[in-house]
Amino acid sequence: MTLATTTRRGALKALGAGTAAAALPLWARYAGAQSAAPIRIGFQKHATGIGATYGRWYERVSQAAVKRINEAGGINGRPVELVTEDDGTDPKRGAEVVEKFALEHNCDIAFGTLFSHVVMGSAPRAGELKLPYFVVSEGHHVASGALNRWTLQPGITDVKSQVRAMAPWVAANLGKKVTMIFPDYAFGHDHRDNFSEAIAAAGGEIAGLIAIPPTETSFTRYFPQVPAETEVIYHVMVGPGVLTFVKEMGEFFGPSRPQVFGFIDSLEGVDLTSPGLEFLEGTYFWEGNPRYAQPDQTSHDKAYRAAVGVDDNGASVDDPRDVSTYAHMFGCWETLNVIRAGMEAAGYAGPEDRQKLVEAVEAMTEMPLSDDHPQGAKVFNGKTHQVFGPQYISKVEGGRLNVVHTASIEDGMYPDEVDYTTQPF
Amino acid sequence: MRPAVPVLLLAAAPGAALAHAAEQGFVLLLPTRAWIASGVATVALTVLLVSLLPGRAARGLFAARDLGPGRPLPGRGMAALAGFLAVPALLAAGLLGPRDPGRNLLPLTVWTVFWVGFPVLHALAGDLWRHANPWRWPAAMLRRAGLRPCLRPPAGVLPALGLASFLAFAAVLLAHPAPTDPRRLAAMVAGYWAFHLAGALLCGPRWLRRAEGFALFLAACAALAPLAREGGRWRLGLPGWRLLVRPDPGPLAAVFPLAMLAVGSFDGFNETFTWVALLGLNPLEFPGRSFVVLPNLAGLLLSLPALLAVFALTLAAGLALAGRRGTGAAVRALAPALLPIALGYHVAHYLPSTLVEAQQVAAAVVEPLGLGHVHVTTGFFGTLATVRTIWLAQAGAVVAGHVLAVLLGHALALRHLGQPRAAALSQLPLAAFMVGYTLFGLWLLATPRGV
Repeated sequence: MTLATTTRRGALKALGAGTAAAALPLWARYAGAQSAAPIRIGFQKHATGIGATYGRWYERVSQAAVKRINEAGGINGRPVELVTEDDGTDPKRGAEVVEKFALEHNCDIAFGTLFSHVVMGSAPRAGELKLPYFVVSEGHHVASGALNRWTLQPGITDVKSQVRAMAPWVAANLGKKVTMIFPDYAFGHDHRDNFSEAIAAAGGEIAGLIAIPPTETSFTRYFPQVPAETEVIYHVMVGPGVLTFVKEMGEFFGPSRPQVFGFIDSLEGVDLTSPGLEFLEGTYFWEGNPRYAQPDQTSHDKAYRAAVGVDDNGASVDDPRDVSTYAHMFGCWETLNVIRAGMEAAGYAGPEDRQKLVEAVEAMTEMPLSDDHPQGAKVFNGKTHQVFGPQYISKVEGGRLNVVHTASIEDGMYPDEVDYTTQPF
Repeated sequence: MRPAVPVLLLAAAPGAALAHAAEQGFVLLLPTRAWIASGVATVALTVLLVSLLPGRAARGLFAARDLGPGRPLPGRGMAALAGFLAVPALLAAGLLGPRDPGRNLLPLTVWTVFWVGFPVLHALAGDLWRHANPWRWPAAMLRRAGLRPCLRPPAGVLPALGLASFLAFAAVLLAHPAPTDPRRLAAMVAGYWAFHLAGALLCGPRWLRRAEGFALFLAACAALAPLAREGGRWRLGLPGWRLLVRPDPGPLAAVFPLAMLAVGSFDGFNETFTWVALLGLNPLEFPGRSFVVLPNLAGLLLSLPALLAVFALTLAAGLALAGRRGTGAAVRALAPALLPIALGYHVAHYLPSTLVEAQQVAAAVVEPLGLGHVHVTTGFFGTLATVRTIWLAQAGAVVAGHVLAVLLGHALALRHLGQPRAAALSQLPLAAFMVGYTLFGLWLLATPRGV
């Protein structure tokens, strides 16, 4: 068996593995592996609930990534299969889903969760079951030390890193006196605390902090609180009120407004050319990955868009109005490629190798810009289980987002807050 | 995602699953206040016009045109068999099909085709469920094999069971943590089917007309069908004409339209910022359906007695104005006037989710057969123009339902009280109730939702 395997692998290599493998029928492609049984990746999908818009795109990207991995020969000679379960964007169901992956569906690992509260609800169960749990959440809860050795975030940067990386450019280019307008709960408070610290380090200062109650839907009475010396307004409004917020801000300040900087999370899935969004013109956004193909687009981004079915405007090739969650969903693609690399490094053969897989990913450091990492080069911190990468700042011009700055990986770095590798498995 | 109307609240309901922040963001940019005012004014104007209408003209609105003698449509036997065969097929889909509720034909059929689509279909085409329900064929076969009904429950038991069965369905929709999970839904569908088959065998065919909640729901919608066979003749009239040629419903049957409206209203209300904030939750980080099971159950169960009390008090006030008595009889006579409101809100509430789920149904049918790829898009939630069109269509359904309810209420009151003046006076509080409910229904469409 071993001999046969070696021989067939050798033959495949001689043919040029990738192309040849892709040309073979599925059964023959994997017949050389010790087991041709698929590697089963439990995909925790926000199919229903408040995360459904993201869930739809996370799934499209994940399926495209798995297809590419399989066409290149799978993982350790085995095909990969996504086992999808709906978590209802609900922490309690998230934990149930993780349990189903481990005990019912015989999945090798769990993957894919976005919403923070679902990650927080699911990770403890993954730890108890000793199931590697790869999240694509951008929450700081992984690197903060709140989770466990079995939970990793190797495919998307966390919010703390994103926020900090914005400060040097904002201070140098938009203005040093910043007023922050944020929703008055944990999400907004994290932005407030992290950005306040980073802007001070970049030589700027906070001119004002305006906390908006989460149920607010009209904002005109808050704008007079913006101090007159404000040069930049930093906003992180989310939820249904966000378009009203930006519109009312535009009406309040008129042409003499301060510079305006926000996070694209507010407008993921929204067509920026839609009437009603004119007030966004000339403002700046953080983007996790530039929605619009840029003049210096890499071949990697081009290949990624083609594989996922997204056009140069970040919309589906099947419906130009169906705008993707482009700033976040690359994390699924990159995470699946990290999983493949980790399984190959660990010689992963089955659930008994789960610990080896976690250790292999913890040992990773540099991930170069490539078709596996089309958003940009990354540095993985094995101690905090968190990846670091570039961040993009784009300006709305003519209804599209043009990248004006790429923040370096170092701009988003911060001191470790945990060392998971010291925790027992 | 983001499920929402009598049918379901999208946020809390399966449809809610499809709540889309961008869509709501655009709704808040629309001049909905002015549109709501126009909608309310339209209903108020209808009240004014109808109160000036001579009695004969009001009755004439609902006179159906005789299209001649007609036989029942053929193919009912096949429909019964198809209805029965659908059960094992759907259960197999639930148990063996994809685990993603957006790809599995069981949740898509139950929540999108049955719960959302069938009421509308029945309001257009009449009572198809009566012929195609999944019990008719097996019950008939077993009867043919010699099984005889052996129970004759006292009057009122079957309608009470019917109401309970409808509310149980609504409770799953509004309060179950995972109403779309294919396996759990398969267990619930199998249980529902077995329970009602046993009832039909023990109590005979009348069980299926009176004790099965979905039959009552769809029959109520079918009462609004413009074209129907009554007394052996096909007739065509304004939706609701059939209610004026039927006797008043019994007390429990009269509660049914109120239950439909209560379920629909709470379905909408439980998604709002107002409700979520009332529960002490932050609507911007809704913690999931698991956290609101008990409050939603309580809200659903309280909404029916609350609506019934308001409705009865409204009618009592109207009777007092007209110098008449008999609130119970008035509730029975006038409750059917609420059906168009319930149906109009059903259409409005579920329209956005249906635009997505109908594509999912198409994909779930087409793709496994290898007939091509269906791209499920939500692009129409991402531009102001399309969101405006969707909102106006929703509001149109709400206003049309109320206008029809005002007309129907007037005609039913005339029939009940006999004298036009007494009818007009008795209608004033009910008219105010309907104008107020228009405002409530339109507010539900415009207010931010957190689920």
